This record gives sequence, structure tokens and C-alpha cells, in this order.
Amino acid sequence: MIAFALRRLLSAIPTLLIVTLIVFAMVKLLPGDPARLILGQEATPQALNELRRSLGLDRSLPQQYFSWLTGALRLDLGTSLTDNSSVSHLIAQKLPVTLELSLFAMLISLLISLPAGILSAVRRNTWIDRLLTLLALSGISLPNFFLGILLIYLFSIRLAWIPASGYTSLLENPQRNLLLLLLPAVTLGLGSAAVLTRYLRSSLSETLTQDYVRTAHAKGLTERQVTSKHALKNALIPYLTAFGLQLGGLLGGAVITEQIFSIPGFGRLLIDAVFTRDLPVIQGVVLVSAVAVFLVSFLVDLGYAAVDPRIRYH
Amino acid sequence: MPKLKPLVLLGLSLSCAALINSASAVTLTVGLDADPPRLDPALSSALVDRQVMNQIFDKLVDLDVNLKVIPALATSWKVTNGGLLYTFKLKSGVKFTDGTVLDAAAVKYGIDRNRTLEGSVRKNELSSVKEVKVIDPQTVQIVLSQPYGPLLAVLTDRAGMIVSPTAAKKEGADFQNNPVGSGPFVFVSRVRQDNITLSANKNYWDGAPKIDKLIYRPFPDGDVRYANLLSGAVQTVTPIDPKDITKLEQNAKFSVMNYPGIGYQGVWFNVTRAPFNNKNFRQAVAATIDREAIAKSIFYGTVTPAAGPFPPGTSAASSAITVQKPNIALAKSKLGGKPLTFTLLTVPGSVTTQLAQVYQAMFAQAGITAKIEQVEFGTLLDRADKKDYDALMLGWSGRPDPDGNIYDFFVTGGSNNQAGYSNKTVDGLLAKARAQNAMSARIATYNVALSTIINDTPYTWVYFQGNQVASVKGLSGLKPIPDGILRFKDVELK
Repeated sequence: MIAFALRRLLSAIPTLLIVTLIVFAMVKLLPGDPARLILGQEATPQALNELRRSLGLDRSLPQQYFSWLTGALRLDLGTSLTDNSSVSHLIAQKLPVTLELSLFAMLISLLISLPAGILSAVRRNTWIDRLLTLLALSGISLPNFFLGILLIYLFSIRLAWIPASGYTSLLENPQRNLLLLLLPAVTLGLGSAAVLTRYLRSSLSETLTQDYVRTAHAKGLTERQVTSKHALKNALIPYLTAFGLQLGGLLGGAVITEQIFSIPGFGRLLIDAVFTRDLPVIQGVVLVSAVAVFLVSFLVDLGYAAVDPRIRYH
Repeated sequence: MPKLKPLVLLGLSLSCAALINSASAVTLTVGLDADPPRLDPALSSALVDRQVMNQIFDKLVDLDVNLKVIPALATSWKVTNGGLLYTFKLKSGVKFTDGTVLDAAAVKYGIDRNRTLEGSVRKNELSSVKEVKVIDPQTVQIVLSQPYGPLLAVLTDRAGMIVSPTAAKKEGADFQNNPVGSGPFVFVSRVRQDNITLSANKNYWDGAPKIDKLIYRPFPDGDVRYANLLSGAVQTVTPIDPKDITKLEQNAKFSVMNYPGIGYQGVWFNVTRAPFNNKNFRQAVAATIDREAIAKSIFYGTVTPAAGPFPPGTSAASSAITVQKPNIALAKSKLGGKPLTFTLLTVPGSVTTQLAQVYQAMFAQAGITAKIEQVEFGTLLDRADKKDYDALMLGWSGRPDPDGNIYDFFVTGGSNNQAGYSNKTVDGLLAKARAQNAMSARIATYNVALSTIINDTPYTWVYFQGNQVASVKGLSGLKPIPDGILRFKDVELK
């Protein structure tokens, strides 16, 4: 198992290097000039040149890339162009917020999708399956921004139960923290639950038609035993993949949801950085997102290997 | 047990004190449309920065609701030597919130820093300043290299904000994250994209503010801003979307201030290349725009149709310049039967998109085809600099002195001259106007310049912006100052 994990980690190094190159190139390909954006309409050509020089934008691209890459290896992602604070510090400030929101959302998603998916598969083609399918499809089709505004309207404006937006850290006030994160987590969790329910339904339905399930039935096991002991364990593998992808996606920035609920997380950091052309911040956020997605998929792989020993020896 | 008693008593009294404190402490939360990027008067280039900096820093002079320059740190001033020498008498006993003294030396430091700091955006506004002299602790002189009428108005904004020299030297480049001034509120903390928190300056020379804590929160989305006001998460919001104004006015819990601003919006034409190096084409496009219809249909009457760069109510506004009426026949005759197709460059956003489409429809009435291209703001400015566009939508937040609304935009090589326009007569008139001191003389000069500019049409003005502020009913004391900056020193929240 340890050898498998090491092999998997080593194989990631070239991938991550390519990611850094793509991130760097992508940001450089964006049209526009950060100096122009920072100085706004009042800039004089002289001030623009001064700023470009102090931002290092006058150096050659390979020079800029290498200094960024060697910095990134030392966890130094440069300084923000807008307010001169360190990018690593900004990310360290925002990442826990998004991490907490994502985990909360995935918990909600898990609590909904597991029972709903199993129920749907076991009671295939009954009214309950059709109802769950309908709900899941609406959940997939409903855009986050719409659901978010709907929840704000209902729970913050009409019922006045939950503040419309904001964030308090878990350490400062746990109760308020959970209250404020509830609506955004539900917004994100419902969408992901809908997807995961469909995944679980289809994989479990398929497993339930397999020969070994029939054998288990023939041995005289109860329906419940067959489903939970034999079928579910196998059906969970694709579910786990989908779960990992969803979580990775959330960590990469729940951009719209954070914008609507004014949560100072990773996604908003990225949006603001894009609008203010804050290149070091964009590079840092995208790089950390890529690493986060890699880590999640790595953990999912380890999870597979634990569930299915055959995978380890590939 | 007897040992514990004093501890319990202490604990009880402490928690009581905390309770009383939290009950009487007044917190006001203000919703803004963007996160203020740079809280340093020298480096700030965003309008929204000024909302926060105005509470932290005192300025030499300020503006009243009629845009008149009024005393602030300077109690009085004299202009001598044919407009070359400004002598300011300063208020005594003023201290920065770090405890250091605000005297003539600090004022000199602040203004010198604004005009010399590397990357300072104030250099242009203060370019006519030759020297700042300390006469005595309460007297400071600004010596100009050439007469510059707008100087006082410039000092009512960031160029006149006085920073604590001790803090500025200590913090260096990080001053924008730890700003220290002498204003009615003290900077406490900021979390990017979440909040900027200020607390009342209890020792403020003009009396402590009535609010204990002032929190600014950014909500880029207009609907989210509106929802947060309705739900009580914020007590004041600026700006509020025009479409929400009527709803708020009809709601007994809120009050809306909707007052004229000093900025304008319109369309630039690139005069350096085809098709708009042809004056007739520029005039044709300008003649198709129905300014009244735009003000009514897109902005619900919260903006005023514009005739030129000086909004009604400001010192240089003049009835000699009138709003251009749409005239499709004139547009067609200017085209002379030739086809006109061009690209209109703009930034994304619901209002700008709508506006661009309305323009497109108005141009089409005269047979003009416009393609809309949307790029983000930095790219738009960059392409304007490089003259890589046909026409673009861009306005200006406005300045209290007329010079700030016209000079850099139309003088040859001006930093805001997006059109690449150059006209010797206009150059001479604009230079003459800024050197004149009497406003009546300046208005006359501007009117002559404007008749040429409007006829040449490197830019066509469409509307003057308004300021829209919505607050809960319990809030009082907010003044509608046309620069759009809310001052919270005298504001009360019940």
C-alpha cells in the first residue's frame, strides 16, 4: 500500500510541473495590462512604466516563470498587486473558509445522496424512484445562483431566520459560523447531492443485476444483507470517484455561491483577482486548486485500493 | 469558598460591564459595490477607496452639499502672487490617531509624499506644485510653478489627505494595509472581500462620532446588496441599483437619497484611424442618441441627460450648452449615403450591456451598424491607450472643479484623452481656463472650448450619473454631498 502511494505521488510531479506552466502561460495570455488596471483612468505613462518595473513585468517571460516557480517551491507565491500582501498569506486566510464550506456541503450531499441513491436503486421504477429522479434532475438543472438567491429570499428576507450573508470564523463563534454557512452549504450540497444520487442509483442498479448478487439471494440472505454487504461495497467505487471530483471542484472555488453569500473564501479571492488583474493571486489560487484536486484524487485512489486490492497491483 | 467569592464577584461585574458595553455600542454596517483595493491616499485609484479613506484621514479642505470648498484641517487660506502662492492656517491641537501631532510639517510631508512617492497616482493632480513650505507649526504654504485654479478642489480629495508621517515611514509599502490619519474613525482591521472595520476616534478634534464602530462590506452584485439591506445585515448601501429605488421608496422601513453626482458617461471615438477619423461619421453617431429615452428607460430617471462635462448644479454648468436631441435625418445626411460599420467596445455588466444594445438600436435607425465587443476594464483602458478601437463606452467619476472633468480628456496628449484628439485652439483655451481664478471667466472660456469640442465630437456625452444611497429609517445625519462620498462623523443610528 505504501509503495502504491509513493508511486502515485512520484507520478504526479511531472503533471504538477505542467500545471504550473499552463497556469503561468494562461495568465500571461490574458489580454490587458495589470499596471493599467491598478492605476486606473488617472495613470500617466511615466507612472505606468514605474509600476511595470516595480512589478517585474519588464522582465522576460522565462525569467518571470522561473522566479515564480522557485518561489512557489518555497511556498512563496509572490505579493498581491492590489494591496501588497503576500499571496501565500491570502490563500492561507481564505482556504480554510472554503475548506469548511466544502466539507459542510459534502456532508449535506452525503446525507442526502446515500439514502436517496440506495432507495432509488432498490425500489427501481416505482413511484418513489420516479419522484427521487425528478428531484435529482431538478437539482442538477437548478443553477447555484438561482437556488442561493431563492434561499436568501425565503430564509433571510421573508422568514428572517438566517442572516443573508457574511462569515464568522469557527473559532470565534461556532454557532454563528454554522448558521452563516448553512445556506451556502445547502446551496452547494443540494446540487452535488443530485448528481451523486444519480451516480449511486445507476451503479447500484447495475450491481444488483450481477450474478454474485443472485447467488447471494440464492443462499437465502435477506434483501437488506444482499444490498448492504455485497452490492453496495462494489457500487460505491464509482460513487467515490464522483464524490472526489465534486469535492475537488468545490475546493477549486465555489465561486458563484461565495459571491452570492459574500463569503470571503477561495472562489471570491479568484474572482476579485481576475477582475483586478492580480496575476500573482490568480496564479497562486489556480496552482493551489490544482494541488487540491490532485490531493483529493490521490486520496480517492487510496480509498479504491483499500476497497479493491486488485487496484494496488496495477 | 470565601476565597472564590471575590473572583466570582469580579467575573460577574466584568460580564455586566461587557453586557452594558455591547448594549450601548453602536455599529453601523455599510454595503459597498466593491472591495476598496488601496487605502493609501497616494496609491488609491479607485473611487470606492475614497468611501473608507474619507473617515480615516482628514483633508486640508472639504466640500459641502453645494460643492463649495469649506475649511477642514485648514481653518483659512489666502491665494496671492497671481494665483501662485496658497497660504493655509491650520487648526491647532490636532493629533493623528497614533498620538503624534498634526502640524505644518506633517502637512508638508503628506503633500510631498503624494506628489513624489513611487507609483503615486496623485502626481498628475499636483504637477503644478513647486514646493511646500513650513512657515510655522500652524502655517503651511504651497508654491505653484504656474497658476492652477483647481488646486483647492483637488485638495478636497485624496491629494489633500494628510497621513501620519511616523506611521507612513514605519509601514512603508504596507501603509495601505495599516493606514493612520487624524480622521473621525480609526482603521482597525480588514479581511479582503469581507470587511473593513473602523472604530470611532474618541479624541477627534471636532467631537467624537456618534457611531462606535463602522464596518464596510463589499457586495459586487446589486441584488445581493439589496437583499442584505432588506434583511438587516447592513444599514446603508451605496450605490443601489436604479431598478430597486422605487421599491425601497415605497417601503416604510427605508429611506433613499437620490441626488446628482459630478461624473458623466458617454462614448469615445478613435479619431486616429478609420472610420472615425471622419468628423461627419462621429457627428452622425452622436446625432442618433436619444439621451432622454436612455435616462428614462434604462436608469428609471436616476440620471440626467448630459450636454457636456459639467453637471447641473456644479460651478461651471452653463445653459449655453444644451442637450443634443436625436436627429436621424441629420445623421443620415452626415453619412452622405456611405455605409458605416464599427465596433463598440465596452465592459461586461448588466447595465453596460443593456446600454450598448440600446445604442446599437439607436445607431441602426440611421443605417449605422455597430458590433458590440466586451472586454474587462483593464483591457479596455489598455486598448484605449494603444488606440486599438473604433468607439468605446467610458465615463468619468467627476471632480468638484471643472478642470478635473475636461482638461486631461481633450488637451493634446492628455492622460485621459482616449480619442487621440488634438486641437491647438482647444489646448490654448483649456490651459487659459485653469490659469484663471474667477469662475465666471473660466465658464466663458470653457464654453468657447466646448463649442469646438462638441462640433469636433471626439466624445459624446450621454448622461450625468446620480448618487443612490439607501438606508434604514433609523439612520440620520447623512449629507448628500455630490462627490458621492458618505461622511459618517455626524451620523446617528437609532
